Amino acid sequence: MDDLRTVMEAYGEPAAPTRREMAEARARMFEEPARSRRRFGFGWRAKAGIGLVAVGTATAVAVVALEPGSPAPRETTESVDLGRLAVLAAAEKAERQPTGKYWHTDTVSGQAYVVRAKTGTYAIYGAQDESFNWVGAKRGMGEAYYGRDLPAHPQTARDAALWREAGSPSRIRVWSGDHYATYTTKATAWRSDGPNVGVDPKGGGTFVDGKSVADLRKLPTDPDALAAMFLGWTTVGDDPGRRAGADSREAGVRRLLAASKIMRISAVLRAPIPPKARSGLMRALAAQPGVHPIGRVADPLDRRGVALAGDERNVTVTGEYGASKADQGTYRSRQVIVFDERTGALLSRQEMLTVPGGPYAEMKPGFIIEYQANRSAGWTDAKPKPPVELPF
Amino acid sequence: MTGEPLTADPPLRGAQGRVDDSAVLRSSLDEPERFGEIFDAYFAEIHGYAARRLGPDAASDVAAQTFLEAFRGRARYDASRAAVRTWLFGIATNVIGKHRRAEVRGLRARARLEVVERAGGHADRVDDRVSAQGLRGRLAGAIAALSDGDRDVLLLVALADLNHQEVAAALDIPYGTVGSRLNRARRKVRAALGGTNPMRDLEDDHG
Repeated sequence: MDDLRTVMEAYGEPAAPTRREMAEARARMFEEPARSRRRFGFGWRAKAGIGLVAVGTATAVAVVALEPGSPAPRETTESVDLGRLAVLAAAEKAERQPTGKYWHTDTVSGQAYVVRAKTGTYAIYGAQDESFNWVGAKRGMGEAYYGRDLPAHPQTARDAALWREAGSPSRIRVWSGDHYATYTTKATAWRSDGPNVGVDPKGGGTFVDGKSVADLRKLPTDPDALAAMFLGWTTVGDDPGRRAGADSREAGVRRLLAASKIMRISAVLRAPIPPKARSGLMRALAAQPGVHPIGRVADPLDRRGVALAGDERNVTVTGEYGASKADQGTYRSRQVIVFDERTGALLSRQEMLTVPGGPYAEMKPGFIIEYQANRSAGWTDAKPKPPVELPF
Repeated sequence: MTGEPLTADPPLRGAQGRVDDSAVLRSSLDEPERFGEIFDAYFAEIHGYAARRLGPDAASDVAAQTFLEAFRGRARYDASRAAVRTWLFGIATNVIGKHRRAEVRGLRARARLEVVERAGGHADRVDDRVSAQGLRGRLAGAIAALSDGDRDVLLLVALADLNHQEVAAALDIPYGTVGSRLNRARRKVRAALGGTNPMRDLEDDHG
């Protein structure tokens, strides 16, 4: 007798939370006043980033406010039209993908670190890992999650030259917010055993928001309907009352929401969404307040695509949590989503530097601070296997 | 399942988290809004766990509180110890712990509900009958009578589909304690299920 299964079945399947419940819980999570944050032991990051979530508090305004006299993050009408056209064209070109038995995604993520070597300052990508996931089209076909650490490496050719000048270290010690961390230039093997990874032979059949393949095939293609479905919660905090003002608080709310929407859409697009709905989602994102087309950019896997970006924000790093003088100061950055120009496929979501300063004072605008890139995604009939070769 | 302790049953459903969760969580330290991905991935599941233990009204509040605490405490998440999903179930279980009296009261009320025999049920396996009946009668009574710690372990295994190691990490208790609590809880549940035979129910006491 399987008493555990009996207990599970006796407890039954509860009703799913309503969209309203989710919107309220999300708002409560992100909008909790910042007064208690020190008590919860946040490091310097509280200074750099957490204030952003406390929209509506004085602290948040100080962090996200556009500097007086700084140009508003708005492009000319001409560039809006050109950029938007490019993005929408990319969406239009999304071709119908064949379906199959297994959907897989292969995602590479990493974080930039600045190395202050005596021979010259250079940037690396560290804390890089790759996650490979496959899900059977139907429940019971299984699902699996694999992960491996990827080698740290210099970001650009110039960074590579400076890394070589520093003696090509294979272990690179970098300042990571409130402590030193060491990243190596070696990859680990794929693992499917341990926290966050594993194989579930009985899983499968559900994708984004628990939707089945059939649910995804039935998705609307209209951008407004898709926005209501996938970005519905973002209307919390985006009400007309708040939108009416043009003050810095409103700008902060708009920026935060736009960045959240970019992240949400990049997560949704990793699911097997049919091309027309995919195109609709891109249009929906492009039409959101605070989201702008920015033309062509490269992603960390050296692929060029067309991009949408959220409003810029200021981030100030102080010495409060041990950052050296060299790391202190203010920089500006924005959240960017990059699409393949030819197919409309999602390439990457990345935080990019717009105005150098603080830890990134010696970096150029366009420098990638943090990223999550799609290495591949698609249907196969054979059970997918994580790739042996490294992405870089 | 390789590597599963012999005392553990194989997972009923996929208990694994997503491998990129810890990367998302890490980057949410600098980019708080990235925590929204964790929220999107697990809110419904945590809400469901709370709804089953405490009912739909409390579930909303428990799930919201769980994510608020997770978000605030995300700097302390240790990826080498537990998957993000496991960590969230640990937080949720602690939040549910603040509603213990309501949970036990609800279970006792359910224990008083009659277990009605399904038509033609005499030939079915006992557990089939119980699942058809839902949480009531002796099963609810047995779960109500468990110690808080034993109930948490049982329900994390049965409802959240965590394995021994994950329960240990979620509740921050030794691995061996998980096994002993689970064995004790299952013994009592089995005894109660054995007693759901309606013929025997007439003779046995309903405690």
